[in-house]
Amino acid sequence: MKRLPLLWILAVGLLILALAAPVLLRNQQYWLFIAIQAYFWAMLASSWALLAGYAGQFSFGHIAFMAIAAYTSGILGRDLGWSPVSGIIAGTLMAGVVGLFIGYLCLRLRRTYLALFTIAFAEIFRLAVNAELDLTGGPMGLYIDYLLDTTSYVPYYYIMLGLLLGSLGFMYWLANSRFGLFFRSIREDEEAAAAMGVHIVRYKIMAFVVTSMIAGLAGAVDHHLIGFIAPTELIIGRMSLVIAMAVIGGVESLLGAALGAIFIHFSLEWLQQIPVPASLMPKLIAMQPTLEKFGLGVGDRGLMTYAWRMVAFGLLLMLTLRFWRNGLIHPIIDRLTRQRARKETVAKRVQAAEVESS
Amino acid sequence: MQITGQYLMNLILNGLLIGCIYGLMAMGLTLIFSVLGIVSFAHGEFYMIGGYVVYYLLEVFTDLHPLLAILAAGLVTFLIGIVFERLFLQPMAKGKIERPGEYAILVTFGLAFFLQYLMAGIVGPHSKRADRFFDLPEVDLGWLTATATTLKIWELPFGASRLAAAAIAVLLLLVMIYFIKRTWVGKGLQAVSQDREAAAVIGINPLDMNTLAFGLGTMLAGLSGATLVNVFAWVPWVGVPASSKAFVVIVLGGMGSIPGAMLGGLIIGIVEALGSGLLPDPGRALAYKDGFGLLLFALVLLLKPTGLFGREL
Repeated sequence: MKRLPLLWILAVGLLILALAAPVLLRNQQYWLFIAIQAYFWAMLASSWALLAGYAGQFSFGHIAFMAIAAYTSGILGRDLGWSPVSGIIAGTLMAGVVGLFIGYLCLRLRRTYLALFTIAFAEIFRLAVNAELDLTGGPMGLYIDYLLDTTSYVPYYYIMLGLLLGSLGFMYWLANSRFGLFFRSIREDEEAAAAMGVHIVRYKIMAFVVTSMIAGLAGAVDHHLIGFIAPTELIIGRMSLVIAMAVIGGVESLLGAALGAIFIHFSLEWLQQIPVPASLMPKLIAMQPTLEKFGLGVGDRGLMTYAWRMVAFGLLLMLTLRFWRNGLIHPIIDRLTRQRARKETVAKRVQAAEVESS
Repeated sequence: MQITGQYLMNLILNGLLIGCIYGLMAMGLTLIFSVLGIVSFAHGEFYMIGGYVVYYLLEVFTDLHPLLAILAAGLVTFLIGIVFERLFLQPMAKGKIERPGEYAILVTFGLAFFLQYLMAGIVGPHSKRADRFFDLPEVDLGWLTATATTLKIWELPFGASRLAAAAIAVLLLLVMIYFIKRTWVGKGLQAVSQDREAAAVIGINPLDMNTLAFGLGTMLAGLSGATLVNVFAWVPWVGVPASSKAFVVIVLGGMGSIPGAMLGGLIIGIVEALGSGLLPDPGRALAYKDGFGLLLFALVLLLKPTGLFGREL
């Protein structure tokens, strides 16, 4: 019982911090923007964790679903003059419909085959976006109307935070209901689950539809804030990032994946430029040509690291997979939440043993 | 655009040339699959690294023979492959990893992510392209003419670089097949792919064979990249379409089948060449070039997941 208050203090503290962030960052619009993007990635990573970690469908098409919604909403707004809100709803539904279709096609495919198929789907989608200039703007990208008529990030911040908390709440409800058990049973053993009467087809498709819609919602709203989308956002590296976030956070934990995404997104920003003491700057500037050969550079505060920060997370992803299969953040949450349950279980067992022996 | 028989023939033959390289790449993937039972999602990254090794070797040692550079690329990718296998895949074979199927997908995908950005960090953002490895001798026989850059047989032109790449690929394929079918070690690989326990009983160490198969597989990917670095512009993301082609080939040919990989490679080469050559809008045709193979891939996965020569799942 002693640990529980700590957990609550942490949770309430994080929530207050998240709610107060616009006030704390009122002079730093850039970091507020980064926070919004971190919530966007958190929605992607946690919904992927539901699809992969709970239902066992290791799909690589998640970024494509995100982009389908953003493109749908952008195109409807440009060609038919739809308002951003109706565009976002239509885009989310579109992601759900495509999710239904892909989920249906993937029914027969397991693990590796599913991964291969979804990679093919994502690549075909990327190529089509690149090629269909009239519809999507091709490599030049598509300009999307802004959701709100304001230059401040504060309202967007609360919208994104609200969406993240709402979708996390919904997914937690889903994961802890009967559906969550069905999802897990499919991951553990499809045949056994089917034999026990789980309607495999229905729940597999449902997992695809729900997670695609959450990814789509995040994508549509986020791009109505950025105002632009281009096919470079569809490269496989961005999908790798979602996977890295979910795995490092904990692929079997929705909250872990979300926190992992927020942590990684902020770290990527911090690591973009490693500050060095001012006394070292002249030396760095002198070394600039050599540094540039190795993908490094000199910024105004220190060392620019371009690709190397991603190298660090790629390595962290592999090491996490190898040595900490539950991720790095999930075990901490688990420790804080399960302490009480563990003690109760032990107490019950002791009690039961005493009853039995007496 | 007028479609003539000659134009069609040209498309098909050029498709076949590139198809040989796809076959070589897919053979590596198929070797890994048949021995380790996994699909490596980092296959394209070894292709990418192979190309860069050749490019930089030729850049530094200008009078190095391109063939030696290609062999060096094979060696480098082989070494990276065996180190990765020992560190990350061997624990799986030893049964130390929970949910090995999911682990294999994610860890090789993680390796791809790591290698892509590692190379992006090392080589910088600009694309590279090696000079042509070999010049053709000047020949003029009437029906056959050759200049340094192109060979023409009955008015059908072939690029010298592609021709050389295809020739090296066919040679390497033959060497690999000889190695697998005729040598003791090759037979050991086959034995492990058929029955691990039985192979262990007769004194073949399945763990060593795993490492060897993974290293050879990545080496074949590296060699494919090495032969093509003078054909395509090279960026750290060049392996993504290449590996998706290798996936198409092994699924089409049947996972773990060597003839399937070779035939599948040729089929994809032709499908792609015809698809992009016959689409009326040239801008779109170029953009969709990689899409035709993927479409075929999606269809095969949905209709006949065991492919042409595949084992039952």
